Amino acid sequence: MGRTAAEWSAPPKFPATHYVDSRLYTDEAIFKEEKEKLFRPSWIIACHESELPEAFDYRLFTHPAGVPLIVVRGDDARVRAFYNICPHRGNTILHDPSGNAKRMTCIFHQWSFDTRGNCVEISRAEQGYQERFRKEDASMREVKCELAYGGFVWVNLADDCAPLREFVGGAMDILEPYMQEPMELFHYHRAHVRTNFKLWHDTNSEFYHDFLHYFNRITGMLQPGYFDRRYTGFPNGHATVGSMQIQYDKYEGSKERAVGWPGLAPGGWYMVDLFPGMTYNLRTSVMRIDTAIPLGPNEVLIEFRGLGLKRDTAEERAQRVFDHNTIWGPFGRNLHEDLLAVTGQGRAMREGTDSRWVIQGREENSTIHDEVGMRHYYAEWSRRMGRPAYAPY
Amino acid sequence: MIKSEQRQAIEELVYRSCLALDSRDFKAFLDLCDEAFRYTITTHSAEIKRDMVWLDHDKKGMETLFTNLPKHNSDHSPLTRHATVYTVDLAGSEANVVSALQVFRTQLDGGATELFAVGRFHDTVKLSAAQPKLVRRVVKLDTRLLGYGYHIPF
Repeated sequence: MGRTAAEWSAPPKFPATHYVDSRLYTDEAIFKEEKEKLFRPSWIIACHESELPEAFDYRLFTHPAGVPLIVVRGDDARVRAFYNICPHRGNTILHDPSGNAKRMTCIFHQWSFDTRGNCVEISRAEQGYQERFRKEDASMREVKCELAYGGFVWVNLADDCAPLREFVGGAMDILEPYMQEPMELFHYHRAHVRTNFKLWHDTNSEFYHDFLHYFNRITGMLQPGYFDRRYTGFPNGHATVGSMQIQYDKYEGSKERAVGWPGLAPGGWYMVDLFPGMTYNLRTSVMRIDTAIPLGPNEVLIEFRGLGLKRDTAEERAQRVFDHNTIWGPFGRNLHEDLLAVTGQGRAMREGTDSRWVIQGREENSTIHDEVGMRHYYAEWSRRMGRPAYAPY
Repeated sequence: MIKSEQRQAIEELVYRSCLALDSRDFKAFLDLCDEAFRYTITTHSAEIKRDMVWLDHDKKGMETLFTNLPKHNSDHSPLTRHATVYTVDLAGSEANVVSALQVFRTQLDGGATELFAVGRFHDTVKLSAAQPKLVRRVVKLDTRLLGYGYHIPF
C-alpha cells in the first residue's frame, strides 16, 4: 500500500544523521552558499602536471566556485595559477583551453602579462595614464597553487587557506605508495549532466549502487573479499575505500588485466573521495580522477581524467587505454550507467517534484555497502554550512 | 578510376552499416564486416592536446560487446546515424572511404531529437569479395561532450 502525502513527507525512521533533505539538491540559494562555503575555501584539482610539460604551457580551468583560471608553467618551471580575467576591462585573457604562451595577451586592448603574473605591456600607457597608473599596478590576480599527490595541480582561491597537506590530512595515505612514479595523462573528457554535484560525489562515496553495474557485480560483488572492503573517514569530509582483488576474467570477453600498477596487488582497487567533489580511483591498471564543477543546483560538469605511468611502453599504454575504455570511457560500460543513474536522480529531484528525503541509512560495520561514506560527507557539509543536512532551513 | 557500380556498392555498404546499428541489428552490422575488421573511435582533445582512443575492438571484440550490452543498464533512446560519403579512393583491392557523420538522438519520452555527435567515418573497404566488406572503421569524432554517453558505438 502506498503512502499518503503526510507519510511521504514525514522524516525517515532513521537517526537524523542518516538522511538528508532533498532540497539540498535543488535550492538555488543553498547552491550559491555552497560555492562560497564549500568550494571557494577548498583545495581543488585543476589539472595534471603532464598537461603542462614545457615552460609557458598553460591550461584553462573553471574553478567550481565559478572563477576562470589560467594554470601556467613559468620559465622557472614553477606552475602558478591566475584569474583568467584582465585587470583592465574584465575581459577573458586566454581563450583556447590549452597552449603555450610566453606572453599572455588580452586581445581586447593588448595588455600583456608574463607567466609570473606581471603586467609587462600596457598599450600606449604613458599617453593615457601618464604617471597615474603603471604596469606594477596591473598584475594578474594569483591564487594559491601546489603540485602534489601524483603530480596534480591543486588550487585554492583563499589567500589565507590552510596548506594543502593540512586540508587532505591522512586521506591520501592509502594511495601514496602507488604514486611514487610519475604519471601521465592519456584521457580527458567531460560530461555535462542535469544533476546536482553532490549526487555525483555520492555515487563515488557508496558501493551499494554496484547493483547498477553488471560488470561490478560479476567481477566484484560475486567474488571473495568484496564485502570486506571498508570505508574510512578522515577530517574535512574525505573518505577512502579499501581494496579487494577484482576478478576481471569473470566478465565475458574480458581477462585478467595484464598491466598492473607498481606495488598494487593484482586486481587491486583503491578509492579516495575528497571533499567537496573530487575522487582518486586507482583500479588495477588505471588512475582515474573525477572533478565536479557545479554549474547550477541541478547541473554539473564533471571532468574525467585517465592516467598511466610516464614510463609506459606503447603496448602498456595501449592496454591501459583499453582497460580504461572498457568501463570508464564515454562508451564504457560503467560510466554510462553511473551518469544515467545520477541524471535520473536529477530528474526526480528537480524543484517541484516533491522529492523529500535521501536515505543514507545502511550500517554494515563500515564495509562496502554501508553508507557511512555519504554520512561522513554530509557531516562535513553540515559543519561548513552551519546547519544540518537533514534540516537545511 | 573507380567504376560507378563499385562506388555505388561502397556507398551502400556505408549506409547499410548505419541502418544496421540504428536498428540495433548487430548481426547485420557484423555481416558487413570482414573477418579482419577493426573498429576504433578516436578524437582529439583540444584541452590536453592529445589524440585519444575511446573504443577499439576487433570483430570478435565487437561481437562480445554487442552480446554483453543487454546485460547492462543503457539509455534506450534510439540513435539515427546520417552519413554522406565524401571520397572513395582506390588502393589495390581496397578502397579508402571518407564519410561525414552526424548522429541524432531521439528521446523516447516526447520524441524530441537532438544532435548528439558529429565526426567522420574513415573506412577501409575490401573489394575482392563478392560484396564489399568493411575491414577498418575509424570514427573520428569532433564532438567530445556526449552527456551521459551511450553504449552502442557509432
